[in-house]
Order: sequence, then structure tokens, then C-alpha cells
Amino acid sequence: MRLHEYEALDIFERNGIPVPRRGVASTMHEALRVAGEIGYPVILKAQVLVGGRGLAGGIKTASSPDELKEVAEALLSSDVKGLPVLKLLVCEKVEVAKELYVGITIDGYSGKPVIVASTEGGMLIEETARTSPEKIAAIHVDSSLEFYPYQARTMLGRLSGINQQLLTSWTDVIGQLYNVVMRYEPLICEINPLVVLPNGGLIAVDAVLEVDDSAISRVRFPLPDRVERIENPLERRGREIGVTYVDLDGDIGLISSGAGLGMASTDIIGERMKPANFLETGGGITADLLYKCMELIMMKPGLRAVFINVYGGINPIHEGAKGVVRYIQEHNVKIPIVAKALGNRQEETWEIFRSAGVHVVTEAATEKAIDRLYELVGRG
Amino acid sequence: MSILMNDSTRVIVQGITGRIGKAQAHWMLEYGTKVVGGVTPGKGGTTVEGLPVFNSVQEAVKETGANASVFFVPAAFVLDAFMETIDAGIKLIVIVPEHIPVRDVMKMRSYAMENGVFALGPTTPGILVPGKGKMGIMPASMFAPGRVGIISRSGTLSYEFAGILSENNVGQSTVVGMGADPVVLRNLTDILELFEEDEGTDAVIVVGEVGGEQEEKAAGFIKRRMTKPVAAYIAGRYSPQGKRMGHAGAIVRGASGTVAGKQEALRDAGVTILDSPIHVADWAVKHKLS
Repeated sequence: MRLHEYEALDIFERNGIPVPRRGVASTMHEALRVAGEIGYPVILKAQVLVGGRGLAGGIKTASSPDELKEVAEALLSSDVKGLPVLKLLVCEKVEVAKELYVGITIDGYSGKPVIVASTEGGMLIEETARTSPEKIAAIHVDSSLEFYPYQARTMLGRLSGINQQLLTSWTDVIGQLYNVVMRYEPLICEINPLVVLPNGGLIAVDAVLEVDDSAISRVRFPLPDRVERIENPLERRGREIGVTYVDLDGDIGLISSGAGLGMASTDIIGERMKPANFLETGGGITADLLYKCMELIMMKPGLRAVFINVYGGINPIHEGAKGVVRYIQEHNVKIPIVAKALGNRQEETWEIFRSAGVHVVTEAATEKAIDRLYELVGRG
Repeated sequence: MSILMNDSTRVIVQGITGRIGKAQAHWMLEYGTKVVGGVTPGKGGTTVEGLPVFNSVQEAVKETGANASVFFVPAAFVLDAFMETIDAGIKLIVIVPEHIPVRDVMKMRSYAMENGVFALGPTTPGILVPGKGKMGIMPASMFAPGRVGIISRSGTLSYEFAGILSENNVGQSTVVGMGADPVVLRNLTDILELFEEDEGTDAVIVVGEVGGEQEEKAAGFIKRRMTKPVAAYIAGRYSPQGKRMGHAGAIVRGASGTVAGKQEALRDAGVTILDSPIHVADWAVKHKLS
């Protein structure tokens, strides 16, 4: 679960990391009030869960109430990378002597946490990593997951242009950030930029925190609601019924068991048609779950066909087929439905599908099923 | 021949008294796997599918001579059961469950490495040696005995590839699901190494997907060490971007993680890139694998 910047900043602050004065606003009037309390100039930041906000125009400065009114109105009625801006973070504008970067993530290949730091923070950090790798330092935490400050000092010592004061205060911030990691079990925990003030102090001007979904139930510190924050109503409904639904802009509905099979299906559909969604059931198919999956994908207007691609390993797919058939019969579905369902009890599954007019493909290759789908929807 | 499992593999099922554990124990036995017992703390002394259930792994090992274990344990209890299994001396472990916290997986991984244990998962369908046995949930009907090895990050795509090969009379030596989580207990490279050494395997198929750097690292290994032909499919070309928020991963890994980046690294290592699973049939014919 990705937290909004304002939520992550609150968590960083509670863990001792210096952060700017700030407030959250959902309307222009609220923004005006927060800015009045902080004092001008202020920064207005769109609270959307997507990277690269700055370059996409989601971060603006306001030096006066008049300017704030204009900027806040514009931001609150805009989209950033397709996401509506529902909230603004109104922030004290700090004086910047230098911008640093620090982040902690999981290195999937070594299976260890890795701490990354750079003297070149800001929006172009990934570019810096490519062009000037000497400006990036990284250190792995060992499998005990214990972190000691000397590790940060050693790592930062490899970067040029760091004085003793910065080394000490930066090491402190890394220790505090590691505390956040221990408490919240994030997959990513990042400050970019970590600003050096003219007096040499540090302040976290941005905050990224993505908590491991599988660990949420055991995190002992308060976290915001996981379902409520999903802005797309179809994706929210997917989360509610326990499947992964991603809304896409096409007209072919998809239900698949397994993320890999779902991705392969969208890849192959995408060659000739356009997928309306990605849907992955995870393990544990039941008749009720597939009924709800049908209900969910059919909520998307203008569907031309549905493709069901499931394997019965842990999943009782014959049960799933019953759910699909019940939906078709109750809702008198007219668009073509193609199903490829293989594995345990496949023959029984095919019979159930066929009883409701579903086109069953019995070959293993998804490509063959999508050929069939293509014939059925025509080329228009 | 095969990798990981052979005639002396004696399997216990952890979580055998649960609904899924029981059903899967049945399918594994039916496939011919030497399943010798099960473990569920508190249910010792009972039987499931005619198999003895023990309270601890140590007891199960002592009574049955088990040397491998497959997990159908609820995610919250997997870490504990895993440590117990390693301490009881088991050397091959398959973790089927999903939704295990990454922190637990990191601890499991390092403990397995320290103890020379080969563990797969989490979120893996397991291992299947066609016609011989299986540890996990792979549906038997998709597979046929032969000489092609399959390693897949995705469970269901491993069935898809095996199914297409089987339809074209190309059998498999061993099919391995490595697990789909951000951290897995064994990397792709380790499994490739086993296939390279296996006398029963003539060629290998790698089924990867967008994200992480397993395929990029494997490309380095293939270039340096592999003599057998390798084909690869990477899922996720049309997957929506923008799922990733922070930069730390990208900074450490550079350009890796994209489908194009993975394909390029693998192609550079001499691997045949398959644009769609169905193309695996032509590749197998070309390499005379049927």
C-alpha cells in the first residue's frame, strides 16, 4: 500500500525526521487557511499516488493569497498523469542550499534491505544514477536486519563534498528512516529531496512510503485504510472482493488466474484488440468469487467480449465455472465469452461453460483462445 | 533424470489437515509422489489420506525418513514452520502459500542459505517431474515426460508452456516454479545451474515477467556458463506503467526490470526470445526436442 506524501510525512515526523510545517487541503479555502498559518511563500503539492509529479506539473509555488487562490483552484481541478487531484499538501517553502537523496528498499536479488544515498537529489535522480554512478552510494543491511550508524557513515564517506556536520546529521536521518523501516515494513521508504538548509540543517521535503501489503495486518502503528484510498471505483471493488483489478482503456474484459497468465493474456490481446482490464483472481477460486469477478468486469461500459483464462491447480475451476454461468443466466449476457480452463476437473468445467453458451477452447496456448475471440468480435 | 526431486525424495506435507493441504496431498499421492506423512502442530496421531500426521517436523523426520517438505501453512505461520523444518534437517522445501511478508522471506532465505537448504517460493506452484512425482499444486494433466526443463516465475504460465509442449509431443524433464514474490528463496540462476548439470535435460525454457532483475542476472550466467539451448518468454509488455513510486530500486538496478531490458540482456546471452507462449512449439521442433 502506497501512502500519500502527507501521510508519510506525518510518520517520518513521529520518528524524529525533520519535516516542513504543512497542512492538507481539499478546497481552495482550506488551502488559503493553511497557507495563512504557515506564512508565504508556500508550495502546493498535488496528493496523487504516482511518481514524477513535479515534472507533470503537480507542484507549484504561491507567494501571495491571490496567487494561492489561482494555483489551488487550478491544481484541484486538474489531473496528474490521469489521476484526479483531490487533496493538496500546503507546505512551508524552505530555502535550499543543496538537495540530497536517501532511500531504503528491498534488493530482491540478494534478499536484503539496501540503503541508497546521493549528493544529487531531486527530480533527475534516476538520470544521475545512470550518468554519474560515483555520486550514488549504497550499502546492504545483513540478514539480521540490524542497522548500525557506522554503516551509514562508511557509505556516506564514499561520496565527495560531505563535511563533518553533514555526515553526522545525514547519518542521524538514515537511522531514523531505518526505524520507520523496522516499524512499518515498507518495500520502499524514501526522501527525495532531503534538503540541506543554509544553516546546514536537514529537512525532508518529500516522503515516499509503500508498506508491504502482506505485512499490514501486523504493523502495530496506525495506518490509513487500504481500500478507501483506491480512487478508481472498479479497482476499489476489486480490492474489496479480493482480486487484483487494473482498469485499462479497451473493450475486452479479462479474468485470469495468476498474474503471469494475466499479463501474458493482456500482451496477446493487445496485439490485435484492446484489453478493458487486467484481473487476477489469486489462489482460491469459488463460484461466488467468479460471479463477483463477472459482475466487476461487466461494470465497465462498452465491453465487446470477455476472455476467461484459468488453470485448476489449487483452484477448483469447475466451481468457478458455475459462478460465471450463474452470472450469464441471471443477467442475460449477450456478448461473446471465450473460456480456456485447464487442469484438475477440466472436462466437467467445459461442460458447465458450454451449458451457458460460453465458447470453450481446449488447447493450452492462450494465443489460440484469443484467435477465437478475434473471430467472434470481428475486426471492427 | 531430473533436478531437485528423484526416487529417494520422501515428502511431508505441512498443513496437511487444512482443506488445501488435504486435497493437494491427495493429488500428489495420486501422481505417484512418495508422500510419507504430514505435520500439523496439535493434530499429531491422526491420519489424512492414509498418511500419519505428526506434531513436529522433527518427529516426522524420525518416524518416516522424510527429506523434503511442501508447505500449505497459513502465511502468518510460515516463518516459524520454515525455521522448524530447517532445524529438523530437511534439505528441500517448497513454499506454496502467498501473502507472506517480505521481511519473513528475507529471514527464511538467509537461514536456508546458511544451512545449505534448497527452498522454492513463496507463491510457487512447486516442482513437478513428469510421470514421477510432484511437490506442490501443478495440475498433472499438463505435463509429459521428456528432456526440456522449465523454470517459471509465474505458476499458471508454467502450466501453459508445459501444456503447449506436451500437445506438440515435447516432454519435460522437470518443471520448477520459482515463486512470484519480490524476494524469493532461490534465484533463477541457481535453478539454471541445476538444469545445466542435469543429464536428463537437453534445453531450458525461462518464463519471466516484468520487474526485478532475476532475468538480467540469469543472462550473465547463461552467457558465461550455459551450453544448453535456452528460450525465454517475458510477460508484461502491455502491463500498465507507474506502479512503482520510489526511485531506490531503479537507482540500484539501473534500467533493468523492463520487458525490453530483460529481452535485450537475454538475447545478448544467446537466448531465443519468444514473443508469445505459442512460439515455444516451433522452437522445440527446431531444436529437435520432441
